[in-house]
Amino acid sequence: MVLYFAVLSLLISPNSGNAQSYVLAVAGLGGEPRYEAAFREWASAFVETATTGFGIPSEDAVWLAGSSARADAEAAGPATKNAIGEVLAGFAARAGVDAMVWIVLFGHGSETGGAARFHLPGPDLVATELASLLEAFPTQPVVVVNAASASGGWVEALAGPGRTIITATRSASERHETRFGGYFVASFADAAGDTDMNGRVSLLEAFLYARAEVERAYEGEQRLLAEHALLDDDGDGRGNLAPSPDQGDGAVAATLFLQPATAPGAAAGDPALAALYAERDSLERTITALRGRKSSLTEDDYERELERLLLDLGRVNRAIRAREGAKPE
Amino acid sequence: MTRPLRSVGIAAALSLVTGGAVGQEVNEARRAYLAGEYEDAARRYAALAERRPGSVLVVKGLTQTLAEVGRYDDAIAAIERFGSASPGSPELSRTLGDLLAQRGRLAAAESAFVRAVADGATDSLAARLGLARLRWGRGDTVAARRDLDLLLDEYNAGVARSALDLLVVANAARLLSRYEPGLARDALRVYDEAIAADSTELEPRVAAGFLLVERYNAPEAREAFEKVLARNPRHPSALLGLARAARLDGTGSALEALEQSVAVNPNLVAARVLRAQLLLEAEDHEGAMREIEQALAVNPSSLEAIGLLGAARFVLGDHAGLDEAAARAAAVSSAHAPFYVALAEAAARNRRYHDAARFAERATELDPSLWRGYALLGINQLRLGTIGPAQAHLETAFRGDPFDLWTKNTLDLLDAMERYETTSSERFRFVVDGRESTLLSLYLAPLAEDAFAVLSARYGYSPPTPIRVEVFPTHADFSVRTVGLVGIGALGVSFGPVIAMDSPSARPAGEFNWGSALWHEIAHSFHLGMTEHRVPRWFSEGLAVHEERRARTGWGARASPAFLEAHLGGRLRSMHDLNDGFVRPEYPEQIGHSYYQASLVCELIERDWGAEGLLGMLRAYREGRSTEHAVREVLGVELNALDERLERFLEERYGVALTALRAGGSGDEATPETIARRARNPKDYRAQMTMGAMLLQRGDTNRALEHFERAKGLFPEYAGADGPYWFLARIHEARGARERAAAELTTLTTLNGSHYAAFDRLARLRAAMGDHAGAADALDRAQYVSPFAPDGHQRLAALYERIDRLELAVRERHAVLALNPTNRAEALYRLANTYYLSNDLDSARRWVLQALERAPGYEEAQELLLTIHERRPDESR
Repeated sequence: MVLYFAVLSLLISPNSGNAQSYVLAVAGLGGEPRYEAAFREWASAFVETATTGFGIPSEDAVWLAGSSARADAEAAGPATKNAIGEVLAGFAARAGVDAMVWIVLFGHGSETGGAARFHLPGPDLVATELASLLEAFPTQPVVVVNAASASGGWVEALAGPGRTIITATRSASERHETRFGGYFVASFADAAGDTDMNGRVSLLEAFLYARAEVERAYEGEQRLLAEHALLDDDGDGRGNLAPSPDQGDGAVAATLFLQPATAPGAAAGDPALAALYAERDSLERTITALRGRKSSLTEDDYERELERLLLDLGRVNRAIRAREGAKPE
Repeated sequence: MTRPLRSVGIAAALSLVTGGAVGQEVNEARRAYLAGEYEDAARRYAALAERRPGSVLVVKGLTQTLAEVGRYDDAIAAIERFGSASPGSPELSRTLGDLLAQRGRLAAAESAFVRAVADGATDSLAARLGLARLRWGRGDTVAARRDLDLLLDEYNAGVARSALDLLVVANAARLLSRYEPGLARDALRVYDEAIAADSTELEPRVAAGFLLVERYNAPEAREAFEKVLARNPRHPSALLGLARAARLDGTGSALEALEQSVAVNPNLVAARVLRAQLLLEAEDHEGAMREIEQALAVNPSSLEAIGLLGAARFVLGDHAGLDEAAARAAAVSSAHAPFYVALAEAAARNRRYHDAARFAERATELDPSLWRGYALLGINQLRLGTIGPAQAHLETAFRGDPFDLWTKNTLDLLDAMERYETTSSERFRFVVDGRESTLLSLYLAPLAEDAFAVLSARYGYSPPTPIRVEVFPTHADFSVRTVGLVGIGALGVSFGPVIAMDSPSARPAGEFNWGSALWHEIAHSFHLGMTEHRVPRWFSEGLAVHEERRARTGWGARASPAFLEAHLGGRLRSMHDLNDGFVRPEYPEQIGHSYYQASLVCELIERDWGAEGLLGMLRAYREGRSTEHAVREVLGVELNALDERLERFLEERYGVALTALRAGGSGDEATPETIARRARNPKDYRAQMTMGAMLLQRGDTNRALEHFERAKGLFPEYAGADGPYWFLARIHEARGARERAAAELTTLTTLNGSHYAAFDRLARLRAAMGDHAGAADALDRAQYVSPFAPDGHQRLAALYERIDRLELAVRERHAVLALNPTNRAEALYRLANTYYLSNDLDSARRWVLQALERAPGYEEAQELLLTIHERRPDESR
């Protein structure tokens, strides 16, 4: 009953990015030097963004690469199944009830005998094995991004309440090397994925950005799209090719951020600033509601109302910046 | 009423070797005939006939042999002579009827067939087929169909059992398949039965091959003909069939097979007609007329030959002759639709699309079941831009002839084009795939309008508008639109009122400059309109390339080493046959060389005779003059003199390069040693380039630079991808010599407007050097090579803002949006901001609202919206 309540609260009040985040990125077995290099670069860049970019403590954001025999000097450890288990156990020991866990896998995958695998030096990581490891996070929201080939089967294996699962492919039959991982990392690292221009990249934005760039890359090369990314965040185990923030898959991912929010706590000692924040939040909610009613309004009425609200929002933001001493770029 | 044929077991086979006294000698004659040893067979049969004048078998063998080599009159004489030995016998009447029909003596042929049927000849089914064919040819298709249908009944009743009778039934089914396409399969089955009934007989195999050709199945047709030729390599009809198959799918040489066919049978009318058709296509009108005359001398009633006679006269502008041919066709057949089909095809080939549609329509009026007529009508209406009626006619054609790949492909394409979007400018209508329309329309409309204005001022003429421009994102679709099949090599085509072309996305970036291609095709629309579609291919292509070069820096073809080497090697066409360089090139590159050569001729005419020289030529073509007459009348010289002037023109312009290319070509194997040895000759362009590339690969940039510089000096006009400029620019840039790198790239792009990488590098260098206008110019020109790089548009927009060319910056911001950027809110904001900088506050407000609708928290966009409102506080919106 307690667990049920906790899960429910996660669903209705998702992590806004202010809770502590724990990040594990794994560069799997490349097979060829060019893949080894790419997976390593993506894993290290993701963790670098989390730590240097977003201020997550380095002990809480680690990447694994190489084998036990040939360790990667810059990584926190080898990309082995044991090491993954140890890192996650460490996170579980430290994570608070509302901490957030990010697990991002870059590499190759396959599915044999019904078992979805992520290839590692030594024994592969099987999806069901990671599912067992995730039981150590009963209350915490968990994000798993498997950017490997043939990763589609991981959605069903890992899905559940409080979990957002992203895979680079929609099935095990999409077996060619994937590009999703690189664009997923870039969406955070360059803020390229910040399509609502609010200064932060939500998990949904990152997914949509990576998906769009993958499509663009294939189109540019005049090749048929060979990877179709999935996202599941409603726990039903069915990945969605086109999640949206409005309903179903995507609604939770739209509220998950690797980058912490600018602390509105700064307004704690400034009631005027706190009021401005409250007014801004209210205006943003009203605009969201207006957009939802767009089809029921005439074009003129909608535009007039939208403009009025946006002008108000702009003025409030000006006031906030003035109060905070900031200036627009 | 026709009906599907019931399959019946045929066991009987006609034994041509009947044994007895004739036995062995007849076998020998027959063997010689089947092996194509016609002279030997004729000699043997003739000797036998002398000894046994009453033997039907022998006389038939003799006439068959004589007919196969075109000695129809000798065959008729043989029947008359030897047939008299068996007075009252009907057995030679059908054979006589066939021979008379081949000579166009239709009334006599009919009498012979009637006699064979009335007297109960053993080949009376064949005689009935002969009668049906005569009725068909006269235009009495109702009676002909009834007769043919009755022949199918004979098969279903089990009457037709001999190889000859089965061949007759199959031929009847083949003719009727025009009305019931399913009968084509039945015909093939019965041909197989005829072959099984007498495996030595080649005619069923040949006829099956022709049916396959008629059903557009060239590979299987070729297989059928090759099987015949394996047994008789001289079989004239099989050789003709091979030529038809080659013409159908472009594999192998149709002309070569035809040469062999007429060498055996110089009186094979169908072969003469096909030769005439090929010569007409190659615009060899005199040659075509010779063939037509020979065909008509054999068979003055051949509708196909009369049709080609009309077609040739039409092409030559002989209106009275055309009327005479039409009257002749009408005298042969009341439903002489094939005559108008031949006219429509010739008209279309000569770009006379209005006439083609008119003739095709007349053909369908004369014979409403002539599906080829509907197909031609539809295709040519498409070329004229009347899409709705065209589609309806193509659908009619396809219902009647579902084997017609051209029609099917075109209908499929029209279906696919439903997702195309149409946009318009003052004088153009652009039909572009929906995924590219927004982007390309930004460039298409201004460029096309500019071309129209420039060309109408130059020519003092404006073609009818709107001109419809269709842009295809896949080359295969463009190809289908143009010729009904994939595989055309061109980038674009102008039908006059309609232009079809490859989208820049249809080919790898850098393969062509689509802006230049569009200008070229618009120029064609002018030339076609001015000459009422009578301009020959060489002049229109040459003038269009000349117009490209005048349109923008770097556009249009330039001289290449290969072109100048072709000139030195005598591989360019003379003025007498320059058109052949386009329509029947002697080697694959000759088409490209001919484009450039023709453009030089136009440039030369303009230099020596002024713009009036070119205009005068166009006027002369409109009057129906040949090139020879036009040149004489307008320029006052003979073609040979123009050749000599061109020779001098080339020497004047490319003297240095020609010398450098003459110095090369030792023919040695290209080893490092031979390259180094040849490169010691500082006048050898090729050697300098090869040596430079080799040294560059080795990392010896200092020495590579020397050789590339030398090559540049030897052929400064050449800026192809394998020319010296690109290498020089890369070396200078690697050394940090930005000015020199930029100078090389500037020259390169001045000469070659299709080098995307050069434009991109030049833009980056100019921007880094603070030359924002230069950078913008380079990047702008790059868009006409490939407009699909979002980064290029973003950079160009920023550059245009920087140099205050805000109207172009707006265009570039729209281009970014058209490319569906992932961060659409940012692209919308930047567009709004550019409008704001342009002082267009309404547009700025409209676009920034769209940005903020997607991203309400976007602070820069909020600020812009506030600023807009602050600048116009009195307005509520």
